[in-house]
Amino acid sequence: MAKVAVMKLVETEPLNSAPEAAPTIRLSNITKVFSGVVALSDVSVDIHPGEVHAILGENGAGKSTLMNIISGVLQPESGVIEFNGEVISPMTPERAAALGVSVSYQHPAVLDDLSVLENLRVALPDRVFAAGNPAEIARAMLDDVGLHVPLNARADSLTVAQKHLLEIAKALATRPPVLILDEPTAALDQDATEMLFARIRSIVAQGTAVIYITHRLAELRQIAHRVTVLRDGQYAGGALVRDVTDDDLLAMIVGRSLASAFPPKSDDANPETNFIVNGLSGRKFHDINFAIGRGQIIGIAGVEGNGQSGVMRALAGLEPWKGDVRLKGVPLSAAEVKAKSAYMPSDRHEEGIIADLTVRENATFSALDQFSTLGILSRRKELGEVSRVFGSLSVKTPGLDTGILSLSGGNQQKVVMARALMSRPGFILADEPTQGVDVGARFEIYRILREVSQSGTPVIVNSSDAAELEGLCDVVIVMSRGRVAETLRGEDVTEGRIVAAAVKAQSHVAGVGEATKAAKSAASGLRQFIQSDNATVVPLAAVVVLLGLYVFGQNANYLSAFNISNILLLATALGFIALGQTVALLMGGIDLSVGPLAGFLVVVASFFINDGQSAQTIALGFALMFLAALAVGTINGCLIRFANFTPIAATLAMYIGLQGLSFVLRDGPGGYINFAVMDTIGWKLGPLPVAFLVLVVVALLAEYVLRKRRLGWQFRAVGSHEESARRMGIRVNLVIIGGYIAVSLFTALGAVMLMVQIGVGDPAQGVNYTLASITAVVLGGTSLRGGRGTFIGTVMGAVLLTEVLNAVSFLGLSQTYQYVFQGALILAAALIYSTARRQAGT
Amino acid sequence: MANYQQTAGQGGLAFELRSLKPARGFVTVVISTLMLIVVCAIFAPSAISAGGLAGSLPFAAIIAIVGLGQMLVVQQGGFDLSLAGGVSLAVVITTHMSGGSDAQLFSSIAFALACAVVAGVVNGILVGVLRLNAIVATIGMNALLYGAVFAVSGGVPRITTPLMAQIAGGKTLGIPNSVLFALVIMLIVSFVLKKTVIGRRFEAIGANPAAAHAAGLKVQLYQAMAYVFAQLHYCVAGILISGITREPTAFQGDSLLLPSVAVVVLAGTSLLGGRGFPISTVIAAFFLNQLSQFALAVGVPFSAQTIIQALALVFGIGVYSLRWKQAATKRALKSKMEETDNV
Repeated sequence: MAKVAVMKLVETEPLNSAPEAAPTIRLSNITKVFSGVVALSDVSVDIHPGEVHAILGENGAGKSTLMNIISGVLQPESGVIEFNGEVISPMTPERAAALGVSVSYQHPAVLDDLSVLENLRVALPDRVFAAGNPAEIARAMLDDVGLHVPLNARADSLTVAQKHLLEIAKALATRPPVLILDEPTAALDQDATEMLFARIRSIVAQGTAVIYITHRLAELRQIAHRVTVLRDGQYAGGALVRDVTDDDLLAMIVGRSLASAFPPKSDDANPETNFIVNGLSGRKFHDINFAIGRGQIIGIAGVEGNGQSGVMRALAGLEPWKGDVRLKGVPLSAAEVKAKSAYMPSDRHEEGIIADLTVRENATFSALDQFSTLGILSRRKELGEVSRVFGSLSVKTPGLDTGILSLSGGNQQKVVMARALMSRPGFILADEPTQGVDVGARFEIYRILREVSQSGTPVIVNSSDAAELEGLCDVVIVMSRGRVAETLRGEDVTEGRIVAAAVKAQSHVAGVGEATKAAKSAASGLRQFIQSDNATVVPLAAVVVLLGLYVFGQNANYLSAFNISNILLLATALGFIALGQTVALLMGGIDLSVGPLAGFLVVVASFFINDGQSAQTIALGFALMFLAALAVGTINGCLIRFANFTPIAATLAMYIGLQGLSFVLRDGPGGYINFAVMDTIGWKLGPLPVAFLVLVVVALLAEYVLRKRRLGWQFRAVGSHEESARRMGIRVNLVIIGGYIAVSLFTALGAVMLMVQIGVGDPAQGVNYTLASITAVVLGGTSLRGGRGTFIGTVMGAVLLTEVLNAVSFLGLSQTYQYVFQGALILAAALIYSTARRQAGT
Repeated sequence: MANYQQTAGQGGLAFELRSLKPARGFVTVVISTLMLIVVCAIFAPSAISAGGLAGSLPFAAIIAIVGLGQMLVVQQGGFDLSLAGGVSLAVVITTHMSGGSDAQLFSSIAFALACAVVAGVVNGILVGVLRLNAIVATIGMNALLYGAVFAVSGGVPRITTPLMAQIAGGKTLGIPNSVLFALVIMLIVSFVLKKTVIGRRFEAIGANPAAAHAAGLKVQLYQAMAYVFAQLHYCVAGILISGITREPTAFQGDSLLLPSVAVVVLAGTSLLGGRGFPISTVIAAFFLNQLSQFALAVGVPFSAQTIIQALALVFGIGVYSLRWKQAATKRALKSKMEETDNV
């Protein structure tokens, strides 16, 4: 885009394009429409093997849509996709993967809760690691792209740049015939970029077809053989890179003069200053100074991630800051800054709009005070004001009480603007105001911002689009590494100057180097363990032992063989059920039905596993217990995945239903359990119940699977970030339904122990295990957010909980304490763990 | 991109009319309830006789009140398991602290309300400010509340004062007082949620806390307050129970937890947070209670009733989750479009 950047290029390696081979991929007449907006219109492209084919274009030109059509994520409305001459219809992500299309996404599909090595192993097929020691193979992959981080570092400790490199390493690892790189260098510094280009050249030499999506003209000369330019979803031109000049390319990209479409700038040469920022510093930016005159719009520019959004969020009062902010000469406190600002977030879907509310509600929720007397709203006033503002902003909506999602992106953004204006702000912060906005609405937004500025309200715009800043702003500050690298005014506000200032300062992106060091020190033994999921085991063991000794000091019978085995036996039932609950929480769900299920299974058993029954009948009883568990788990999983129930709703309904079933089968205790069976299951080695040892072994096995097997990684991947897991090709539905079946089967094991404990089919028993199991799992240190957990910790949690409840009676305390200890324990554990995680996160 | 000027402005009346269109949840609940009444009239007239209703409506009223409290928490994407402890504590405080004497009744009610506020504030701080998971925080709080229940009562039931029995169990103009309490609470909750600045912001925060935060609203405060007001609802329900039930146990709240969630869900409030439907919640409470009465009247054993409730719940969620699914796919599509291309 920027000529200046292009001039800097010295990379002139002769690009010996391979002789015209048959294209690997041929796209013919592709058209893609998103709810009425044409994203791609009749685009045809050939991708040849052994070439880097660059797709060039502005934001919104249709580059990523094209990529998603090739990778099967989106289906085109019309057009043909051919692979090695064969027509593929329809293209799906699975089909694309089978054909060897490998994608490095602009937003890396990296799972924060997994380690670097686990991220690679869960995303890549086993054959990649079959050749030798997986760690060494992974190390080589990372070295290939110049990513030097410990393999066991958790991915959330990586910087954005490092995550990009990891994403690229994954894409390269399968040696794919087709590699798609979507803006791979956006977060990379010079060295990393060079390294990446070297890799691309070597795989291209081996015959891979590379599709390289970028909006940087500069990189094109370095790496690409062929280029296709898209503009507003149309094919704007294509050529061999060596045959085309930069000027030609620029003309293809821009296509028209933008200048005429922007509203005229402020013509006041020396306006009165109405907004001053002096020495503003925050977490990711330092010593920012600028001043805005009446009628002026100030722009913030720079390569993404250099502190721009931090400045915006600080001025919106969303991040802490230090410094001096003056509005019309009056210094503002932090609270005043928050109250006076109106912030239009860059991520409209996350922070801008409320999807479930109507257009009107979205427009007014921050300005409601104006339509109310004593806190009570006047509907008339509200409608009047909304209609007025929508009229002046030309918001196109079928009605004020339609859902916000039925509007186009541009109109949604105008609703966000309407909200900002209605709150009568002191100043307006527009963060990427035209992202996801169609061209027509874009210029409406420029006009509105200009009008707001002319009416005397300072306007600050952050944009990654230098052309937009050139057209819109009177003053532009260019940021680099959290500081103002250059301030451009008047005639100097040109796309070229902006990009040059950003790139010149850009010789080294902050982050990669530092973070490598940080991650390395984190890797050192002890610290690594403290940050691992199993770190809770040590303090838990200490608490279990200390509590035991304390109660022993008060009452010597506490540590008698009888009591120890009693505690462990009780803990075994809870432990198995809690192991199941751990699986549910690891997947980011929850299973409320485990308690009633355990009770129900005991009731089922009480019809078969009785004294005097034949061995076959008893075996049938056990089989029925596990079959019933299997059925319950399947129903839970299917309700959640296919009927779209939340885990709470599905398992709550199951909870109520199972409780009812238990009472249908038995209206009171009855059906004594076979003594021989109870004796066998309750068998002890000294004070140690064998069943408890089985629990420990099962927990260790589960822990091994969780850490070292693909199945375990998949569970954690799904719980960590479902969308990324899906993109990696994990069959999310299958994993989650399987997970809920596992929960129920673990519960069935717990039910066997419960059966031994109570010895009779009692429909009222078992229900308490739902809350107890969640308590045990939380004590053990598994996060309810999913993705992180420990089976060993869960067993410790179950032991601790049982021990505490048991200790109360030995200390001669009333039942009050049993409850108080239980409550205090879970709250203390949750608070300690969440604090620890937060600290580890920063 | 033509006719950008054809916009709002025209026809505020059309918008008024549109906004009168009732929510789908309301329609579903009302139709189901009417159908149930018809079925009752045909197969089990005793369940809707004046005598039958007089006996069952107070329990529907209790479910309605705890349901409204739970709804506030669910609106903020939370889940309040401490409902059981909250109700039980209010019950034992009004029965035990008053010592059976009318003179002590109001001071013990005041104490119960104060305890509810404390419990709600602690829940609110744990979830809203310290960002603990709602389930974990309220499990812990529930245990602490039960600790208090045992400290107050020792676990033994006790009879309330005559005055309380009269207030909660009596009738005004032929309508049980507890039903009037439930209706008044419903009107207050509806008015505050739909017609005041606080309520509208409360719903906006529940629907998307990130957007509300970016717009400068005090998200944590609102989230915390949901737990405080929820506890107040539970407390009122507990106080009423102590008057309606002759000898309420110390575990009176346990049986209310699941129905409270069920009525919230049946009324159409998403467990993911957002808009609340107080009137539908109250009707759903009537529906759920009437369903039990019907089952009882036609001779379904007490044990099987929960199965009917579970099926009703699955049916209810099924109906709504289809709608959520539509919204979710619409959202996913939009965001995909966003991510893939800045069209």
